[in-house]
Amino acid sequence: MKTLLRFQLNGREVAFEAPPHARLLDVLRDIAGLTGTKEGCGEGECGACTVLVDGRALNSCLFPALEADGRSVVTVEGLASREGGLSELQQAFVDEGGAQCGFCTPGMVMSAAALLAENHSPSDDEIREALVGNLCRCTGYTQIIASIRAAGERIGKAATQ
Amino acid sequence: MAYEYHRSGSLEEALVLAAGDDSALIAGGTDLLVALRKRKRPAPRHMVSIRSLPELAEVSEQAGSLHIGAGVPMADVLANTVVREHLPALTAALAVIGSRQIRNVATLGGNLCNASPAADSAPPLLVYEATLELAGSSGRREIAISDFFLGPGRTVLRPGEIMTAIRVPLPGAGAQSAFLRRSRVAMDLATASLAAAYTARDGKLINLRLAAGAVAPTPLRLRRTEAFLEGKPVAEETLAEAAEIARSEVAPISDLRGSEWYRRELIGVFLSRALRPRSTRMKGSA
Amino acid sequence: MSEEHFIGVETARPDAPDKVSGRTQYVHDIAVPGMLWGAIRFSDHAHARIKHVDTSAAERLPGVKAVITAYNTPEVRIGFLRDNFALKRDKVRQYRDEIAAVAASDPDTAREAASLIRVEYEPLPGVFSPEEALVEGAVLVHETDARGRPRADNVVPVRFAHHSGDIEAGKRASKFIVEGEYTVPLIQQSCLGTAGCIASFDARGNLTLIAKTQIPFLVQRDFNKALEALGLEGRNVRVVVPALGGGFGTGLDTHAYEYIAMLLAWRTGQPVKILYNREEEFAYLSPRQSATSRIRQGCDENGKLTFREIEVVQDNGAYTSWGATFPSVMLVPATSLYRVSNISFESKIVYTNNTYCQAMRGYGNPEITWPIESSIDELAEQAGMDPYEMRLLNCNQPGETTPMGLKITTCGLKECLDRTAEKLDWGTNRGKGKGVSRGFGMASVINVAGGGKIYRSDGSGIILKLDDYGNVNVSYGGVEMGQGLHSALILTVAEAFGVKPDQVVINQTDTATCPWDVGTHASRGAFMACNAAVMAARKLRQRLFEWAEEIYPQQVEESLTKARKHNPEFREPEFDWRAAASRDRFELADGILRVQGAPDRPELQVELGRLLRAIHFRKQGGGTTFAEEAFYEPPTDLPDWERGYGNMSATYAFGTQGVEVYVDEETGEVRIVRLVAAHDVGRVLNPQTLRGQIYGALAQGVGYALYEEVHTDKGRVLNPGFTDYKLPTACEMNFPIHIELIETNDPEGPFGAKGVGEPGLVPTAPAIANAIYDAVGVRIRDLPITPEKVLRALKHQRAGSPVR
Repeated sequence: MKTLLRFQLNGREVAFEAPPHARLLDVLRDIAGLTGTKEGCGEGECGACTVLVDGRALNSCLFPALEADGRSVVTVEGLASREGGLSELQQAFVDEGGAQCGFCTPGMVMSAAALLAENHSPSDDEIREALVGNLCRCTGYTQIIASIRAAGERIGKAATQ
Repeated sequence: MAYEYHRSGSLEEALVLAAGDDSALIAGGTDLLVALRKRKRPAPRHMVSIRSLPELAEVSEQAGSLHIGAGVPMADVLANTVVREHLPALTAALAVIGSRQIRNVATLGGNLCNASPAADSAPPLLVYEATLELAGSSGRREIAISDFFLGPGRTVLRPGEIMTAIRVPLPGAGAQSAFLRRSRVAMDLATASLAAAYTARDGKLINLRLAAGAVAPTPLRLRRTEAFLEGKPVAEETLAEAAEIARSEVAPISDLRGSEWYRRELIGVFLSRALRPRSTRMKGSA
Repeated sequence: MSEEHFIGVETARPDAPDKVSGRTQYVHDIAVPGMLWGAIRFSDHAHARIKHVDTSAAERLPGVKAVITAYNTPEVRIGFLRDNFALKRDKVRQYRDEIAAVAASDPDTAREAASLIRVEYEPLPGVFSPEEALVEGAVLVHETDARGRPRADNVVPVRFAHHSGDIEAGKRASKFIVEGEYTVPLIQQSCLGTAGCIASFDARGNLTLIAKTQIPFLVQRDFNKALEALGLEGRNVRVVVPALGGGFGTGLDTHAYEYIAMLLAWRTGQPVKILYNREEEFAYLSPRQSATSRIRQGCDENGKLTFREIEVVQDNGAYTSWGATFPSVMLVPATSLYRVSNISFESKIVYTNNTYCQAMRGYGNPEITWPIESSIDELAEQAGMDPYEMRLLNCNQPGETTPMGLKITTCGLKECLDRTAEKLDWGTNRGKGKGVSRGFGMASVINVAGGGKIYRSDGSGIILKLDDYGNVNVSYGGVEMGQGLHSALILTVAEAFGVKPDQVVINQTDTATCPWDVGTHASRGAFMACNAAVMAARKLRQRLFEWAEEIYPQQVEESLTKARKHNPEFREPEFDWRAAASRDRFELADGILRVQGAPDRPELQVELGRLLRAIHFRKQGGGTTFAEEAFYEPPTDLPDWERGYGNMSATYAFGTQGVEVYVDEETGEVRIVRLVAAHDVGRVLNPQTLRGQIYGALAQGVGYALYEEVHTDKGRVLNPGFTDYKLPTACEMNFPIHIELIETNDPEGPFGAKGVGEPGLVPTAPAIANAIYDAVGVRIRDLPITPEKVLRALKHQRAGSPVR
């Protein structure tokens, strides 16, 4: 018994049928085919599944898919332009070495996107606080924090010009 | 996990659905969905979603109290200027609950109804003496938060009853409050926590309220410790004696987050730190 | 410093754009047509006889395609002692033992079916620690060995030992002796991407395995043996490695789940995917071994080390994987960290009914550096010496041969010690902590950095192939698991062959297309790959330049003709380019072929792609394409393990880490104030990825020191998830980290580089413990150093009673 679900996915109206127990993560990965959003733990501890719903970062592994109905969902695939150009934030992760094995990266990028949307020049401690729900085993977080700091500077600079 | 999922459009509708057989309420769902996936509780036949019900979504100041809709995500409570200005212990507690992703979804009402002994919002609300507003198919009632918790995962909520709001009396001028907590890492349940609210008058503690988390089957008011300290000046010997009472007043278990011994130790330390004059400023963690 | 274009230049990783945009495909993301999902039924007991397995309910569940047990499949033995089976028949020896498995149309159905399998057991008493397992008459985890011979005890039959000099003489020469027992916990590698694989057979019985592995070629060997067990002699396994999602040692052995996927795929004739969720990853994958070490060390009145005696006991768990060989690596620091002439090292690995253990980054080194470097501080205190001075006095030197026979070529340990002390202002700060709860500590590391020979070949093959457009395709059998191997390899190929880095493309690791490599472990990836790449690039240049003798002049002539026609101011070059066009005068750089001494005119330069096309499509006599293979085998020995002797690596990395801590004396919490990591890296290939390796290793070192432990109760994992297995978050890593890179330019390293993958996590825990001691005077000897342990020790100290 599936329910029809309509929402905006990365700027486009979409409709999918999903069973009642489906998580937003399942719809994104298995039905919409957007595998950039990762499942690292399935219990809201690691943040690899972080997406934006109505602009807010949340764990798509803990979000019932049916609750996405009528909302706007942005995944890591929605940050870059259609032609594949990277966003400032993604480019900063490339430039500063913010990705290693890359499995946590989409979630890190989405948490960072939510943070930078409200604060262009976060302090390192504010960045750390915003990433407390995103685990990384490769980087020790240092170059991730540097990436987000750099992205904030670039976005801030672009905004003041 | 084959359940039906109902998104209720109004409180009335939710109450009707929740009154049905084998139904469970879901707000933010961050605890419930994990429990279901790990089969720590059986799946209900009907899942009744009360996410963003308008009746549960408001925060407003009314007659010296702050009325917080039970369905308001903790991130929004945390961002509320009245909360930040008048309720420092609650602010400090909300800031360390889960992650941003969790707080964007998990609700204040859900944190209380889940009735975890370690629910960080509970000790501050206990010392602020919050009142909980409950609605059921047979009517509405109010209950003091100190009467709400019965045990781990157990509350006085009747089947089908919905918490609609948390009403927090705003402390008067000169009132102080603090929340102290320790956990293994930043993203973790509390090993132990303590909230304190009081007014310091002529160096004496007046109207002192203390509550502890993760050190008993429920979040707990430390009434014996309060009674001992009430009206006393804050001196190191008094604090040491009070810490001893607090350590004996709590009833922790040993688990992966800490031993019974360590939890009692922490409660004693938190008590001194919360009440010592130089550290009475708001503090997010120990 | 030499004049390289790309080596040592801060360069973005080639895989980063796909990773930041979610395009990278991990095994989690891959589905193949017709694919089924597998799920495993694990044991309900730590030790029991299997009486009966009833799969009927599982078979009846709609969507289930096959249910297999040891009773309806051929026996597949696994593990290097062949003491484990893909599916268990008679007895289970640990909670994670695989009893049955299901293939179904989707993962939920597969898991549900697995849970419907009914197993009857006859529970047996178990042994859950080496102490219990070593008691006379203890229950045997394995009654027989792989050949069916009865076993007398629970000791795993592998022996690693070393005895050199004269311990008794060393003791007599000692003015000060310290002794202590140190433990390390079971910890989990915690890859963010969980384990998984996809197995598919072709109609002839050849298997393709998409595997999350670090050792594709050893996996191929093991699986070819497994095909024989299926009666598929002469058939072959192709191992394809997708983006890994973290390795850290988890991929250093084959796993039962991979053989089970193979068996299910064979039974159903369809591809089968098995993917662990996080709980399964914690409960059913092999973690890092726990160990207890007893150490005695002494020094003379001047602080010179006189002897070192170590006995290690490791809990192997129920079966044997590479965790049992950790002592092979422990031998390196045990015999060779600082100069000690009288050494005794003994190890014992013991079967228990706990989860069996495997490799993790550092592979024995952190486990043994923990007692050695803690004990050095204890010894320095006894001798009334500054521990930094004691380390300097006994510092390793370039050119020395250690008691294990390690040939130390380059050695930056003294610089590492000095820089660490300098950055922490050691002389002023250390020893002042008591009263202010602030302390300083340091510890060092020696690690293999030029391979680590534990197999009959420690080599790596590589193929460089040119396409018609000047791109170099690299086929290398090692694994990029996030560490930055491909970045180092691209820079090396660009530098050594003479193209731009974006003209170098690394192919997916695949046993069908890549030459043999022993695997990506022991900090060997970049060292081996880049050495092999330099060799292959040399061959490629040589053959290209031979061909260019004929083709280059034709191309120049063509360019000049065009220029004469189109450029009215054209002047003939005065340079005799025909005469210069010889193989020993060609230069290739940035993808442009020139000749030495030629003026900088475009007509005299040939873009590589154009040259290659001209060679390929040569009219008279036919052309050619280019591909060159090279195999680098480092000049090392396979050690004699029972003697603990042999130069197992082509070079060794050194490093020192220094830490400032603050200890909250009321709660026992330890806060790191700052950390210095000075590492002898030989030569920096790419600063960005090198820093990433060290920062990441440090966080793992901090986790090992302060937070991480897999808790078990009678063999059952109590914290199978990130809720109760705490990794450091960004908020724990909130202190300044100062990295000092010491370049010693190793003669055997590619461009002088040494392996850097592991050293960064080795000395972190003892450096922190030494700093805690400096701050508050308590010494914690069992990891992790939880606030509770510190507070207990402080209470004992205040009460005047001895700790432990």
